[in-house]
Amino acid sequence: MRILFFAHLKDVTGQREIEWHGSPVDTDGFWRNLLEIHPGLAPFRPSVRLARNGEYVRNDVIFTDSDEVALIPPVSGG
Amino acid sequence: VEIEIELTTELILEQALPPKLAGNVGAWVEFMGIVREEESQQAIVALEYEAYSPMAEREMRRILEGLGAARPCLYARVIHRTGVVPVGEAAIWMGVAAVHRGEAFALLAEFMNRLKKDVPIWKRRALTPAEWEGARSS
Repeated sequence: MRILFFAHLKDVTGQREIEWHGSPVDTDGFWRNLLEIHPGLAPFRPSVRLARNGEYVRNDVIFTDSDEVALIPPVSGG
Repeated sequence: VEIEIELTTELILEQALPPKLAGNVGAWVEFMGIVREEESQQAIVALEYEAYSPMAEREMRRILEGLGAARPCLYARVIHRTGVVPVGEAAIWMGVAAVHRGEAFALLAEFMNRLKKDVPIWKRRALTPAEWEGARSS
Protein backbone atom coordinates (compact mmCIF):
# COMPACT_ATOMS: atom_id res chain seq x y z
CA MET A 1 0.00 0.00 0.00
CA ARG A 2 1.23 3.46 -0.91
CA ILE A 3 0.32 6.09 1.68
CA LEU A 4 0.47 9.77 0.67
CA PHE A 5 0.83 12.79 2.94
CA PHE A 6 -0.11 16.35 1.98
CA ALA A 7 0.23 19.86 3.36
CA HIS A 8 1.32 20.05 7.01
CA LEU A 9 1.13 16.26 7.33
CA LYS A 10 4.31 16.10 5.23
CA ASP A 11 6.01 18.19 7.91
CA VAL A 12 4.67 15.94 10.67
CA THR A 13 5.92 12.76 9.02
CA GLY A 14 8.93 14.23 7.25
CA GLN A 15 7.82 12.23 4.21
CA ARG A 16 5.67 12.66 1.12
CA GLU A 17 4.74 8.99 1.03
CA ILE A 18 5.50 5.60 2.49
CA GLU A 19 5.03 2.02 1.37
CA TRP A 20 3.34 -0.37 3.74
CA HIS A 21 2.57 -4.04 3.24
CA GLY A 22 0.28 -6.27 5.26
CA SER A 23 -3.14 -7.85 5.52
CA PRO A 24 -6.24 -5.97 4.32
CA VAL A 25 -7.43 -3.53 6.96
CA ASP A 26 -10.47 -1.41 7.68
CA THR A 27 -10.19 2.27 8.58
CA ASP A 28 -9.44 1.61 12.25
CA GLY A 29 -6.79 -0.96 11.33
CA PHE A 30 -5.26 1.43 8.85
CA TRP A 31 -4.92 4.15 11.48
CA ARG A 32 -3.61 1.70 14.05
CA ASN A 33 -0.84 0.60 11.68
CA LEU A 34 -0.06 4.13 10.55
CA LEU A 35 0.14 5.55 14.07
CA GLU A 36 2.68 2.88 14.98
CA ILE A 37 4.90 4.28 12.23
CA HIS A 38 4.02 7.96 12.70
CA PRO A 39 2.52 8.55 16.16
CA GLY A 40 2.75 12.30 15.55
CA LEU A 41 -0.26 12.02 13.24
CA ALA A 42 -2.59 11.14 16.13
CA PRO A 43 -3.74 14.70 16.89
CA PHE A 44 -4.70 15.18 13.24
CA ARG A 45 -6.77 12.04 12.85
CA PRO A 46 -10.14 13.69 13.72
CA SER A 47 -9.73 16.27 10.95
CA VAL A 48 -8.17 14.03 8.29
CA ARG A 49 -10.25 12.35 5.61
CA LEU A 50 -8.97 9.26 3.83
CA ALA A 51 -9.01 8.76 0.09
CA ARG A 52 -8.40 5.46 -1.66
CA ASN A 53 -7.17 5.59 -5.24
CA GLY A 54 -8.27 9.19 -5.57
CA GLU A 55 -11.73 9.01 -4.01
CA TYR A 56 -12.94 9.75 -0.50
CA VAL A 57 -13.71 6.51 1.28
CA ARG A 58 -16.85 5.33 3.00
CA ASN A 59 -16.81 3.92 6.52
CA ASP A 60 -16.95 0.31 5.37
CA VAL A 61 -13.86 0.51 3.15
CA ILE A 62 -11.17 -2.19 3.23
CA PHE A 63 -7.65 -1.18 2.23
CA THR A 64 -5.36 -3.64 0.48
CA ASP A 65 -1.72 -3.60 -0.56
CA SER A 66 -2.56 -2.48 -4.10
CA ASP A 67 -4.26 0.72 -2.89
CA GLU A 68 -2.98 4.26 -2.91
CA VAL A 69 -4.28 5.82 0.30
CA ALA A 70 -4.07 9.58 0.79
CA LEU A 71 -4.46 11.45 4.06
CA ILE A 72 -6.46 14.56 3.22
CA PRO A 73 -6.25 17.28 5.88
CA PRO A 74 -8.81 20.13 5.70
CA VAL A 75 -8.53 21.66 2.24
CA SER A 76 -8.00 25.34 1.44
CA GLY A 77 -8.04 25.78 -2.31
CA GLY A 78 -9.41 28.73 -4.26
CA VAL B 1 -22.61 20.35 -18.94
CA GLU B 2 -19.33 20.16 -20.82
CA ILE B 3 -16.48 20.34 -18.32
CA GLU B 4 -12.81 21.28 -18.61
CA ILE B 5 -10.48 21.18 -15.61
CA GLU B 6 -6.88 22.28 -15.50
CA LEU B 7 -4.23 22.54 -12.81
CA THR B 8 -1.31 24.72 -13.81
CA THR B 9 1.80 26.31 -12.38
CA GLU B 10 1.58 29.04 -15.05
CA LEU B 11 -0.02 32.47 -14.88
CA ILE B 12 -3.72 32.27 -15.70
CA LEU B 13 -4.22 34.51 -18.71
CA GLU B 14 -7.49 36.06 -19.77
CA GLN B 15 -9.83 33.37 -21.01
CA ALA B 16 -12.14 33.80 -23.97
CA LEU B 17 -15.60 32.36 -24.37
CA PRO B 18 -15.14 29.20 -26.42
CA PRO B 19 -16.45 30.09 -29.92
CA LYS B 20 -18.15 26.74 -30.27
CA LEU B 21 -20.62 27.83 -27.61
CA ALA B 22 -21.81 30.83 -29.56
CA GLY B 23 -25.47 30.45 -30.38
CA ASN B 24 -27.52 29.26 -27.47
CA VAL B 25 -25.32 30.85 -24.79
CA GLY B 26 -27.18 33.67 -23.07
CA ALA B 27 -24.87 34.05 -20.09
CA TRP B 28 -21.14 33.77 -19.59
CA VAL B 29 -20.12 34.18 -15.94
CA GLU B 30 -16.50 34.42 -14.87
CA PHE B 31 -14.86 34.37 -11.47
CA MET B 32 -11.26 34.88 -10.46
CA GLY B 33 -9.97 34.23 -6.96
CA ILE B 34 -7.02 36.54 -6.36
CA VAL B 35 -4.20 36.16 -3.83
CA ARG B 36 -4.56 38.99 -1.31
CA GLU B 37 -1.65 40.90 0.20
CA GLU B 38 -2.64 39.74 3.67
CA GLU B 39 -3.04 36.24 5.08
CA SER B 40 -3.98 35.66 8.73
CA GLN B 41 -3.34 39.39 9.32
CA GLN B 42 0.25 39.06 8.05
CA ALA B 43 1.63 40.90 5.03
CA ILE B 44 2.62 38.39 2.36
CA VAL B 45 3.92 38.48 -1.20
CA ALA B 46 2.72 35.09 -2.40
CA LEU B 47 0.91 31.90 -1.45
CA GLU B 48 2.14 28.43 -2.28
CA TYR B 49 -0.57 25.98 -3.31
CA GLU B 50 -0.27 22.23 -3.25
CA ALA B 51 -2.64 19.78 -4.92
CA TYR B 52 -3.22 16.07 -4.95
CA SER B 53 -3.54 16.51 -8.69
CA PRO B 54 -5.34 13.46 -10.04
CA MET B 55 -7.86 13.46 -7.22
CA ALA B 56 -8.33 17.25 -7.32
CA GLU B 57 -9.20 17.15 -11.01
CA ARG B 58 -11.50 14.16 -10.59
CA GLU B 59 -13.22 15.73 -7.57
CA MET B 60 -13.81 19.02 -9.38
CA ARG B 61 -15.34 17.15 -12.31
CA ARG B 62 -17.50 15.04 -10.00
CA ILE B 63 -18.76 18.15 -8.19
CA LEU B 64 -19.56 19.94 -11.43
CA GLU B 65 -21.38 16.92 -12.83
CA GLY B 66 -23.43 16.69 -9.65
CA LEU B 67 -24.27 20.37 -9.54
CA GLY B 68 -24.98 20.43 -13.26
CA ALA B 69 -27.91 18.08 -12.79
CA ALA B 70 -29.76 20.69 -10.74
CA ARG B 71 -28.23 23.75 -12.42
CA PRO B 72 -28.23 22.91 -16.12
CA CYS B 73 -25.39 24.79 -17.76
CA LEU B 74 -23.73 24.34 -21.12
CA TYR B 75 -20.09 24.59 -20.23
CA ALA B 76 -17.84 24.98 -17.20
CA ARG B 77 -14.10 25.49 -17.19
CA VAL B 78 -11.93 25.66 -14.07
CA ILE B 79 -8.24 26.52 -13.92
CA HIS B 80 -6.49 26.31 -10.54
CA ARG B 81 -2.93 27.38 -9.94
CA THR B 82 -0.48 25.24 -7.99
CA GLY B 83 2.95 26.19 -6.73
CA VAL B 84 3.82 29.76 -5.84
CA VAL B 85 1.18 32.37 -6.77
CA PRO B 86 2.16 36.02 -6.22
CA VAL B 87 -0.16 38.55 -4.63
CA GLY B 88 -2.50 40.03 -7.23
CA GLU B 89 -2.51 36.97 -9.47
CA ALA B 90 -5.39 34.55 -9.82
CA ALA B 91 -5.21 31.34 -7.85
CA ILE B 92 -8.37 30.15 -9.56
CA TRP B 93 -10.33 31.12 -12.63
CA MET B 94 -13.75 29.75 -13.47
CA GLY B 95 -16.04 30.36 -16.39
CA VAL B 96 -19.58 29.05 -16.81
CA ALA B 97 -21.81 29.31 -19.84
CA ALA B 98 -25.56 28.81 -19.66
CA VAL B 99 -28.72 29.68 -21.52
CA HIS B 100 -29.75 31.97 -18.66
CA ARG B 101 -27.66 33.80 -16.05
CA GLY B 102 -29.37 32.30 -13.00
CA GLU B 103 -28.03 28.79 -13.55
CA ALA B 104 -24.54 30.07 -14.34
CA PHE B 105 -24.30 32.26 -11.21
CA ALA B 106 -25.68 29.44 -9.04
CA LEU B 107 -23.40 26.75 -10.44
CA LEU B 108 -20.35 28.93 -10.00
CA ALA B 109 -21.17 29.94 -6.43
CA GLU B 110 -22.06 26.42 -5.36
CA PHE B 111 -18.97 24.99 -7.00
CA MET B 112 -16.68 27.42 -5.18
CA ASN B 113 -18.27 26.44 -1.86
CA ARG B 114 -17.74 22.76 -2.59
CA LEU B 115 -14.19 23.33 -3.82
CA LYS B 116 -13.27 24.90 -0.50
CA LYS B 117 -14.71 21.90 1.32
CA ASP B 118 -13.84 18.85 -0.77
CA VAL B 119 -11.16 19.42 -3.41
CA PRO B 120 -7.70 18.34 -2.21
CA ILE B 121 -5.85 21.60 -2.77
CA TRP B 122 -4.08 23.42 0.05
CA LYS B 123 -2.59 26.79 0.72
CA ARG B 124 0.71 25.27 1.76
CA ARG B 125 2.33 28.42 3.11
CA ALA B 126 2.41 32.17 2.84
CA LEU B 127 5.69 33.55 1.57
CA THR B 128 7.54 36.52 3.03
CA PRO B 129 9.56 38.77 0.69
CA ALA B 130 12.79 36.86 1.46
CA GLU B 131 11.15 33.49 0.80
CA TRP B 132 9.66 34.84 -2.41
CA GLU B 133 13.07 35.89 -3.71
CA GLY B 134 14.38 32.43 -2.86
CA ALA B 135 11.48 30.75 -4.63
CA ARG B 136 11.98 32.88 -7.76
CA SER B 137 15.69 32.16 -8.00
CA SER B 138 15.41 28.42 -7.36
